[in-house]
Amino acid sequence: MLDLLIRFQNMDRRWVFLGMALAIVLPMLVPFSLPFKVDQRVQDLYDRVEALEAGDTVYISADFDPGSRPELEPFFRTHLHHLFRQDVRVVMGTLWATAPPLVKPILEDIAQEYGKEYGKDWTFLGYVEGKELAIKSLGQSVRKTYPLDDRGNKTADLAVMAGLDAMRDFDILTSVSAGFPGTQAFVLQIQGQYNLEMASACTAVSAPDYIPYYQSGQLFGLSGGMPGSAQYEKLVYASVPPEKRPRLPATSGMNVLSIGHLYIIILLLLGNLAFFLTRGGEEN
Amino acid sequence: MKRTLPILITFVVGVIMVGEFFIPHWRYRALTGEMLEWGIILAAGAFILGLINLVQVHLPTVVQRGTDWGYKAVLLVSLAVTLTMGFANGKERLASGMEATFSYKWIFDFVYTPLSATMFALLAFYIASAGFRAFRARNAEATLLLVAAALVMFASVPIGEGVPVIGEYLVVLKDWTLDVPNNAARRAIFIGAALGAISTGLRVILGLERSHLGGE
Repeated sequence: MLDLLIRFQNMDRRWVFLGMALAIVLPMLVPFSLPFKVDQRVQDLYDRVEALEAGDTVYISADFDPGSRPELEPFFRTHLHHLFRQDVRVVMGTLWATAPPLVKPILEDIAQEYGKEYGKDWTFLGYVEGKELAIKSLGQSVRKTYPLDDRGNKTADLAVMAGLDAMRDFDILTSVSAGFPGTQAFVLQIQGQYNLEMASACTAVSAPDYIPYYQSGQLFGLSGGMPGSAQYEKLVYASVPPEKRPRLPATSGMNVLSIGHLYIIILLLLGNLAFFLTRGGEEN
Repeated sequence: MKRTLPILITFVVGVIMVGEFFIPHWRYRALTGEMLEWGIILAAGAFILGLINLVQVHLPTVVQRGTDWGYKAVLLVSLAVTLTMGFANGKERLASGMEATFSYKWIFDFVYTPLSATMFALLAFYIASAGFRAFRARNAEATLLLVAAALVMFASVPIGEGVPVIGEYLVVLKDWTLDVPNNAARRAIFIGAALGAISTGLRVILGLERSHLGGE
């Protein structure tokens, strides 16, 4: 028995990898649905967007890349649906060089779906370098930070920017953030200084870092990783009949996440059990 | 002079930027706005320096067939191809509102995206392996960490939430762990880091910290 446990502890890690692969693939092949509750942080985000009125404006900073796509793209898509459904004007920019080819087609598709006109109802300002400097500059003037939009139009001439310049002119700032520069830099550089109404959708690993900002009221809502995205999908599509709903990637991903997490916890338990049972034997 | 001038520039710029918090006048804001624009231009210019640096570091190794010269050659070729494709038809791209040229988009969609996603996805496998091999309850601190990690992982997903009878309590315990001990520790770290940043900022502005100028 002791030998078996020692061998188990020292087993080839490729078996662990194989188990992980199965934990990811099997829930995809055999779909099932587990109910989940909505966190208060996501509920607050949803409620604030619901309270927006037609013609209000939202600035989205889409700061993520293909690596964090599974966690953040579902939120990003659902948020755009939510905003356009509310008839809100959307201005989007990014501080990540790798984001534009990823986020711009999504914005274009969803805007088109709702019959929104470029320049009047929405715009994409593109990418700006400068990280915290750019954020600081956005706080003062979006028009100066982005003199031209992604299509080469003068930002100041766009109808969607009428009456908008400094970040505080926007009703809401949403940071879809996979790291730096992202939510934390926005909070540190401009949220406090201008008292902005700001929400964040971040990767699961960053969520514990941003919870203090939510508790202090600096963020009015927070969606963490795939669970946050799935909860947001649940709220936004609650009023849409199931047959009319688009595919909800975060909701279906929750099954994979469930089995994946369970697998890691089982490994942790077994690893520790074997460690304790063999410790005496190894010492002897 | 070689050191005095940068210190003087740092002092003047630093004081002006800090002053923005205390002088809410539009003229002053216009001045700081101008400085931020300079900063953004300088940051963008740093890309060119980075490009030159990359070539300077890797090209000699490739030419001399040094260690890992093959990888470095791939890096330089990828750099050249992506750069060329990125610049191709720039004016037409802007005028038409297209995201990018076909070739550039192809590189992004079929090379960069899968590679980036693969790197990130590999984490799941390494976390599983590392957790199994190294995450041991060897002492009280490690046990606490292990229990907290397992609890937050399990109660954050539907399978944990849905455990009969105890699932509900697991979620409450998970939320408490995140909202109370986690927040207390994070706040302590944030406040400590902020004090450190203020102190370092003051040292840089006052010219006491000169490591960014090279030497010392």
